[in-house]
Amino acid sequence: MSGDGPDRTLRPAAEAGPGPAAPAVRTEGLTKRYRRVTALDNCSVTVPQGSICALVGPNGAGKTTLLRMLAGLAAPTAGRAAVLGAVPRQDPEFLAGVGFLAQEMPLYRRMTAEDHIGIGAHLNTRWDGGSVRDRLRALGIPLDRATGTLSGGQRAQVALALVLAKRPRLLLLDEPVAALDPLARRHFLATLTEAVAAAEGDLTVVLSSHLVADIERVCDHLILLAAARVQLCGDTDDLLAGHKVLVGPGKDTAALRRAHTVVQESTVGRHATLLVRLDGPLLDPDYQAEDVGLEELVLGYMGAAAPAAYAALTAVPARETTGEPR
Amino acid sequence: MTWVVWRQYRLPGAIALALLAAFAAAELTTGFQMAAAWHALLQRCPGTAGAQQQGPDAACSGGGIVGVLGNDLRVLSVLVPALLGILLGAPLVAHELETGTAGFAWTQGITRGRWFLAKAGWLLLAAALAGGAVTALVTFWSGPVNAMRGAQFGGNYFDTQGIVPVGYAVFATAAGIAAGVLLRRTLPAIVVTLGAFIGFRLLFVNVIRAHLMPAVTTVTSMTSTWSPPGIAWSLGATVIGPSGQPFVSDIGFNGYPLTAACARLIPGGLASQAGPVPPSVVNAALSCMQRAGFRQAVTYQPGWRYWPFQGIETVIYLLFAAALVAVAWYVIRRRDA
Repeated sequence: MSGDGPDRTLRPAAEAGPGPAAPAVRTEGLTKRYRRVTALDNCSVTVPQGSICALVGPNGAGKTTLLRMLAGLAAPTAGRAAVLGAVPRQDPEFLAGVGFLAQEMPLYRRMTAEDHIGIGAHLNTRWDGGSVRDRLRALGIPLDRATGTLSGGQRAQVALALVLAKRPRLLLLDEPVAALDPLARRHFLATLTEAVAAAEGDLTVVLSSHLVADIERVCDHLILLAAARVQLCGDTDDLLAGHKVLVGPGKDTAALRRAHTVVQESTVGRHATLLVRLDGPLLDPDYQAEDVGLEELVLGYMGAAAPAAYAALTAVPARETTGEPR
Repeated sequence: MTWVVWRQYRLPGAIALALLAAFAAAELTTGFQMAAAWHALLQRCPGTAGAQQQGPDAACSGGGIVGVLGNDLRVLSVLVPALLGILLGAPLVAHELETGTAGFAWTQGITRGRWFLAKAGWLLLAAALAGGAVTALVTFWSGPVNAMRGAQFGGNYFDTQGIVPVGYAVFATAAGIAAGVLLRRTLPAIVVTLGAFIGFRLLFVNVIRAHLMPAVTTVTSMTSTWSPPGIAWSLGATVIGPSGQPFVSDIGFNGYPLTAACARLIPGGLASQAGPVPPSVVNAALSCMQRAGFRQAVTYQPGWRYWPFQGIETVIYLLFAAALVAVAWYVIRRRDA
């Protein structure tokens, strides 16, 4: 970002600049502490450009805190973030590249969508108000009614259309579909994926959500936060390929733990079911390895980070050793 | 940003203009009526027309021409700055934080600092204009009352006329803005704004204002009934001894401290105070004090200082307003949204 002096721009030595290869988001040891609680602890994640990244984790895991820091709305206590190659800050050029949609989908309730288009046109140097009108007309959402009178799903569509009108290169969405019914959710995500496709790799999305089914459908990248720390970060397919559910006898797992990382373990009778991150080839013939589903993976990690009392509730479901296809 | 502020405030602005128009209609009609009556009185009673004339000049008393409605509105206009503070200032940022719309505004391509300065700037200007319009109307209305009573330095007169109401309006709005930024919620911000504004105003009226310029002291004889000329603000009279030191005595009569020797001139002693005392007795005692070298010292702010006082007070309020806005601006840029 020019015009601000080099000291305000973070460009890791490994990269020449925010070219196509540079990640859209990179954080190193990002930490946010409030007076008593640590909302986010030593968070280091990378989101490649052009990806749709899901940010999952239990309530209070630090998802909103991370998104707000990436949007420049909150300052980190420690660590640093590079968003589109720059430190998030109060600067028109930085703000122009990043779109942020807070969980409550804030719109001025007494103003119409058309009013919001006007506001955006006056506050942004790059602004495509026509795209908002086209999108909302296609969805049958009135442009001339106060947004407070629209349904939740319509408001979410208005908010998304407005944030897309900025033509951001990074879109940060905080639980955008949490309050929507399944149909509105599907419409919302369809709009989102269309926008990403239309941007041809120049739009990266980070969206937090609890709904694993939605994530599975639209996201190709995953960051899992629990207890204020990063538990998982990577390409969804790679993460799924790198984990297995092992089903076998309920025996001492010390040998297994030396070679691999056991995320979670549950024993029913003499059968043990383990969620394992494979750190090499699986050599123990007693275990039968099965592919893991996204929901299983997410719940496994979330449960492992949860207090012990909850852990049992989210344990990997026990399976029959016959290994029937699911 | 100008357009955004216009779009956001055009409805409240229209309501405010309508209220202002009603206020103007009331003050102008009653004001013109009163002015006409006062001028008729001046022609009928050249040199004797006044607020509360007694005896043969009772027909020249102007007390009856002061309209109740106009006067009530004049007194109520002291509330205008407080209303601006709580309705315009306090919600300016706090309401956007409460409803989350700050998250929308602050992720457009404009920094929070600039957004804040533009919005606060326009609304402070609007507050100044509203305060200015109200005080212009009240000052016009008060013309005959000022001429009759000459009490422009008095509370409810000084505070509702001239240019100080503009300072109050801007200060109250700035206080509301700052409270909203610091507390982040409208209702607590309203409470704090009211408390801070009323508290500061009372402090200023009762403690600070009299010292804006060093008071003037005039020494007169004990029997003199001299009072400072014109609309001067009398701050009180004391008795000083022969060497100029303040004289305090346990023995007092009609508000004057007396020496024991002079007190004996009052027939029957001080116990006879009950009931009306003939002026000759009072004069005898005061003449005794005068002979003993005592004098009256009358302390006051001369009438010509009315406009300097208006100016100084307005500037002080505007400076405090600027400081509050600067604090709010600093906090909004530095603190997490």
